[in-house]
Amino acid sequence: MVRGAAGILLPLIVPAIIAMIIWGLPGDPATTICPQGTCGETARQALIERYSLTSPYAFLYSWLSRAIFLDFGISPVTIAGKEVWALVATSVPNTALVMLLALGPITVGTFGAALGWFPRQLDAVFQGIGVVPAVIFALFCVAFITIFDLGGIGAFGIPMFEYDNWEVSPMKLLAGGLVLGLADGALSGAVSGTRSVFDTEFKQRYIGIAILRGERPMVNAAPNVLPTLIGQFRSRVLHLLSGTVIIEVILGIEGLGDLLWRATLDNDYFVVLGAAWGFALISSFLLIFQAISGVVVELMIRRSPSVPT
Amino acid sequence: MGRLRHLLVGVGLVSAVFLTGSNVDYFEEQLPSTMIPIYARTMVDRRAHELVFDRMFYRSAITNELRSRLVERYQVLEGGKKIKLVLRSGVKWHDGKDLTPDDVCFTVDALLNEKNPSNDAKDYREALAGCESQPKENSAVIAFRKIYHNPRERVAFHVLPKHKFDSSQISPDDDFALRPIGTGPVKGSKGRREVSFSSVPNAHRRANVAQLQLKEGGDPFVQVRTLINAGVQGVIAVAPPLRPEVAASDDVALKSYDLRSWWFIAVNTASGALKHQKVRQALDLTIDRSELRELTIGVDKDDPNPPCEFISGPFVQSSPYYNRQVKVAERSDRARAGTLMEQAGATKAAGRWTMDGAPVNLRIGMNAPLDTEARDLLNQIGNQLQAGGFDRQVYRVTADDWNRKAVAGQLKDFDLLIGKWSFGMVEYVNPLFHSRKGGKGSMNIFNYSNPEVDKILTRFDAARTDTEARDAYHDLHSLLAKDLPYIFLWKLDTKSAWRNEVRNNTIAPYYYFTEFDGWTIQ
Repeated sequence: MVRGAAGILLPLIVPAIIAMIIWGLPGDPATTICPQGTCGETARQALIERYSLTSPYAFLYSWLSRAIFLDFGISPVTIAGKEVWALVATSVPNTALVMLLALGPITVGTFGAALGWFPRQLDAVFQGIGVVPAVIFALFCVAFITIFDLGGIGAFGIPMFEYDNWEVSPMKLLAGGLVLGLADGALSGAVSGTRSVFDTEFKQRYIGIAILRGERPMVNAAPNVLPTLIGQFRSRVLHLLSGTVIIEVILGIEGLGDLLWRATLDNDYFVVLGAAWGFALISSFLLIFQAISGVVVELMIRRSPSVPT
Repeated sequence: MGRLRHLLVGVGLVSAVFLTGSNVDYFEEQLPSTMIPIYARTMVDRRAHELVFDRMFYRSAITNELRSRLVERYQVLEGGKKIKLVLRSGVKWHDGKDLTPDDVCFTVDALLNEKNPSNDAKDYREALAGCESQPKENSAVIAFRKIYHNPRERVAFHVLPKHKFDSSQISPDDDFALRPIGTGPVKGSKGRREVSFSSVPNAHRRANVAQLQLKEGGDPFVQVRTLINAGVQGVIAVAPPLRPEVAASDDVALKSYDLRSWWFIAVNTASGALKHQKVRQALDLTIDRSELRELTIGVDKDDPNPPCEFISGPFVQSSPYYNRQVKVAERSDRARAGTLMEQAGATKAAGRWTMDGAPVNLRIGMNAPLDTEARDLLNQIGNQLQAGGFDRQVYRVTADDWNRKAVAGQLKDFDLLIGKWSFGMVEYVNPLFHSRKGGKGSMNIFNYSNPEVDKILTRFDAARTDTEARDAYHDLHSLLAKDLPYIFLWKLDTKSAWRNEVRNNTIAPYYYFTEFDGWTIQ
């Protein structure tokens, strides 16, 4: 219930908080376009009025009153002239693709650990891979891709999407997914996290009884560990989402993280809020997904046949 | 049928070779911030705009002659208060519409509109009074606020298409900033990581390169490796430490790019010991420019064509305003500096200069981004001054503080500020040295004031001929070299690198792509 409510409120609360934070930082779009004393006070005032930069409340009110109609304004600095919704809309698929690719190793790791596909001896290997920091891994990848010119849309002859302004480079996406999914202990965390949840659960008395009855412990444990695993999975996805900012910036993937980073550097409030809103939307979707999954698992357990006494 | 198939395959192959061969990719320092020329803020912007738009007048990179691709003939009216520009017929915008005098006057109106947040417009607002379109004669008459000896240089703006805007108040977030329409050799489209240009044949210009792509350069090392591996054809600015590697490659050539910028140390003539002219002259003699150049830019002493050229005044050596009579002090002369300090009343004890009972202590600041071009310049200057007996503290000034405070004369806490100025078509240094009063001296860093200098600057403003203007600035050069509100350092060229496949790639000073029509790729 709480998670569901938080999920619904997140896209509203996040822009408000972000607006207050960016207001406290030095600079604003008007100063970036027209630094004081360089292009005239009349022009500066015209910009301040145009972008409602008289106070944080005026700005937030103006932004929210348009955002509820999905009008996020036009970027004045980062990609001057481009509508923010279009920037967010073309960024989300790239971020989603990187995330999806990164989820590959993590999902395999989770299932592998749960179903015992991986021997425990492999944990050391996973941890070894996880020791490599994402930044170093990403820098290596970007140098390799750029120097050998593999960053094109059809690099290695792999056909990829090219629709209007949405272009994706397969090598960069692949590298981004790999870096996120393997580095910084992402894979090893998924394996060891899942393993420890099951190990703890398998020590429970009801599992011992189930084994004595000749039942499979996994079947008995799965419904009980599922909410924990879903929670773990959500936090891993959120962790990946934060990681996308660094990965996209380094690898030059035109995703939401890259957009947020550039806009923050440029003091482009409209794009910052648009990108933050995009992140909040993904996060809220995950929260709602977790809440619904929790309810579904609960219902499954309640509807399962009662054990004969 | 078989022959036809062979023919088609042959045509296809030839076309493929031709098309791939006419594409050029290059790394820029960053993406242009806008494609609306009146809002250009960086050199990247100016270079990109030069490709898409035509300026009313430009200087030939080969002959340095003032030319125009848009103006068929011009006439100076009312003794220089106005200039009539008859436009060349047949010039079209990239969307097929004709270039008209209304477009010229619209651009003037946009530059004069005070609600437009344009950094460059300030100079035009000081110079231009208005514009009158004469469609029947296909001409525009531009009026000036005063008479200039060089009226054509004062109207060297990029022309905007009137039909693409609702009014002369242009919003910086107009769609035009992404997809500009110009009369230049290529049309552009800005993305998030690149700007794509494709050639548009016109009556007055025709580019040989069909496709050009500006890519955002990341790490300088990766840029150079990518160039050597033929991933791109050019790099606009090669970092000094990587130049030997580029020079060693047979497939790539280093080319000088004259940014028309000169470096200086501004001296706070109102601060402590620096009030004395002799102390300023002593500082000038303490600085060893030759050693600085070697240590910070890595210039080889034996290089016959060094990218760094010393200056003795506020102009680059190729400028007609540079006074060659004023010699450059390449090496330091500590003995003469010592004599001057003593004449100013300073005494030296334990290797430190003392004046009025206190050590001569200098707070030195530097515009931080300059460090990428001349590594460790701030510390090296500090070290030389310390070795000369001056106490010093060094500080980096952020680019933002430099633009907002230093240029506005608000960093008076400093004694010395290291910076550089760049000039495009018009080398107008009056705002740097005129006393700050009546709107003059708007870029006077330490509010330097010298009635004699002001008089010369007024003489320049009143000049009616090139000779009068040149004489005034020659006198200015000579006076400033003596009074030293600035210690003049050098003009520093940037080095570009282009693969040998790109031919005839004449690089114009400052605007870079002025002669792009002649570029070819093989």
